[in-house]
Amino acid sequence: MSRRRILLLIWKEFLELSRDRLLLPVIIVMPLLQLFMFGYVVSSDVRDIPTAVIDHDLTPASRQVVDAFANSGYFRIVARGQDESGMKALMDASRAQVVLIVPPGFGDLMLSRLPAPVEVVVDGSESKTSQVAQGYAQSILAAESSRLLPPPPGAVTPPKVPKLDVRVRVLFNPGLRSVDSLVPGLIAFILLLSVTLLTSQAVVKERERGTLEQMFVTPITRAEFLVGKMLPYGIIATVQVAVVFTVGTLWFGVPFRGSLAVVAVGALLFLLAGIGQGLIISTLSRNRYQAQVASMFIIIPSFLLSGFVFPLESMPRPVYLITYLIPLRYFLVVLRSSFMKGTGFGPLAPQLFAMAAFSAVIFGAALLRFRKKLAD
Amino acid sequence: MNRILAIAGKELLHIVRDPRTLIAVLAMPILQLFLFSYALSFDVKNIPTAVLDQDLTQASRQFVDAFSESNYFTVTQRLSALSQADGVFDRGEDRAVVIVRKGFAERVAAGETGEAAVLIDGSEPNAAQLGQAYATGLSRAFAGRVTAQALLAQGIDPKQQGGIVAHVRVWYNPEGRSAFYLIPGLIVVLIMTVTVQQTANTLVREKENGTAEQLLVSPIRSIELMVGKLAPWVGLAAIDVVGITLIGLYLFGVPFRGDVALYALASLLFITGCLGFGLIVSARAESTEVANLLAAILSILPGFLLSDFIFPIRNMPVVIQFVTYLFPARYFMAINRTLFLKGPGLSVLWPQFAGLAVYAAVALLVASILYRRRVG
Repeated sequence: MSRRRILLLIWKEFLELSRDRLLLPVIIVMPLLQLFMFGYVVSSDVRDIPTAVIDHDLTPASRQVVDAFANSGYFRIVARGQDESGMKALMDASRAQVVLIVPPGFGDLMLSRLPAPVEVVVDGSESKTSQVAQGYAQSILAAESSRLLPPPPGAVTPPKVPKLDVRVRVLFNPGLRSVDSLVPGLIAFILLLSVTLLTSQAVVKERERGTLEQMFVTPITRAEFLVGKMLPYGIIATVQVAVVFTVGTLWFGVPFRGSLAVVAVGALLFLLAGIGQGLIISTLSRNRYQAQVASMFIIIPSFLLSGFVFPLESMPRPVYLITYLIPLRYFLVVLRSSFMKGTGFGPLAPQLFAMAAFSAVIFGAALLRFRKKLAD
Repeated sequence: MNRILAIAGKELLHIVRDPRTLIAVLAMPILQLFLFSYALSFDVKNIPTAVLDQDLTQASRQFVDAFSESNYFTVTQRLSALSQADGVFDRGEDRAVVIVRKGFAERVAAGETGEAAVLIDGSEPNAAQLGQAYATGLSRAFAGRVTAQALLAQGIDPKQQGGIVAHVRVWYNPEGRSAFYLIPGLIVVLIMTVTVQQTANTLVREKENGTAEQLLVSPIRSIELMVGKLAPWVGLAAIDVVGITLIGLYLFGVPFRGDVALYALASLLFITGCLGFGLIVSARAESTEVANLLAAILSILPGFLLSDFIFPIRNMPVVIQFVTYLFPARYFMAINRTLFLKGPGLSVLWPQFAGLAVYAAVALLVASILYRRRVG
């Protein structure tokens, strides 16, 4: 392998890329845009759920319950009324997503220490809001129940009952800041997106233009060609990672507790896996459009089945087995552990090894395919 | 009209001549819907859990059983010392550790406070948040049973204690089935990604093949070119919508409570809007690389993030709420949810329909203006 020839190839590739004035801005601005969008969208909590109230009771007790909802910050009262069919119309039109109904006689039942029902209707068409609304409604009602209940009449000493003290503690990210796990995830995703999309075009482009044959009448060897062709995209991806890493830690204050060496090794292996994927697409496709469709076919499942947004454990068994074939899955663990837990090489060895094995296999396949293709 | 038909015919010829791409475009969204509807779910189940039972009594076992018998936690190993818990999290083996302190049973029997703790790995905030809620809920329910037993033993009927009884009902999706949340939303995301990709390439290709100049000297006007380029793709995407919808309805049992004609109209408007969006990308981009990257970035992430699919738009920062209007996804998402799960028609949905119609018209216009300026 001649270093000079490889450098020349890299230079040629960059020259070609820079002819498109939009490419460089896209490469730098795009990850930042994603980071900001993701960062602000994902970290917003569900609050101010539009709520309609039907208070049939209109006693101090019922008003206290309604106020507890209004003052919690989670529910915003948008309508009050006495008419349940009107509420149905509000829910149908998505103008209200929760209806709180206090039946008549609620105050009296509470005063006489009897079970007093309160109804909460939740719009189940949207997952997150519906889950949050159910949870908060339950806990607000439980709290109000003990506040409103008068002390038992005639009881001198309350009965002695055992209690439980169960402390539920969240480690590594006690504030449950979504952005802390998002930034590592986004680094991985941006790497996958740009590497797969760009490398999958690299070889097929030369073939479409007929310059692939020209390339091979020059003294450039196949290995040199592949290295020179792929390295520029590795460099581009590294720049992108650095940008997201810097902005994520400085602007969003995401803590980084691990070692850069672990991240660098993980990123390198992941990059190889990504380039291998792109390369194999590039050798399998006849034209650039096919290469692009095939890339999307890899990117979207990687995004959804890697544990980035949807938890892996909840997936059915057969799909869970498929996720082992997604390199993003391993890199996500490496990045998240490095950022949040400061994990070293030892515990992450299985993930790093899996990515190394994946890269070796995919590269081997791509090389074989590339050689055969040229022989045709 | 003749000229539009000629362009449409030419574009159709391009598509048909490349059957691999045609199959990919038709099959991809359908395959993905199938895979994702089956694989993804918003709830967190089977959180891998380690148990450290320092008490080893019947009471402590019952407490642990409350966790292992729920669907939320799956006990994978038992620890013998607290120091092992760190390693469990570091190696990523488990995401939760349930700890029962020594003397748990004794204290509960004596009417005192029994101590336990649940540690949760916060490196995946979404799962951690739900895990925290489940752990708190399970402990509370267990404590309630312990208290009720103690009260009964003292001759007090715990049912006669009074208080608020919360009846929480969920409308439109009473069983909280994931498919009901997912499918109306996935339709939007998958159609958006596949359509934006399709047209993002078409104008760039004319430029790269050098046929853009030929088009320029022909009498065709740029808006006619846009419409002609778009028409055959509308047909393809419509086939996708039909396929996806049928799978949702018949395989996953998602209800459809609205007007089918309205759904067809909304789909056509949405498809046109997305394809127009792709044309804007294509008119601006100078190379297929940039067109591909831009199309991927401007379709995958906005489809997921800015459409109200997973993250409620209502709770986003105001600036981002404005950005959501720039993508066609939010309108179609609201229409889909209402038509599938709720039922009302134009009386409620007219703003979304108007939004989609205006979007489609503006996108086509902008694309043709941008294209004319660039080539001219």
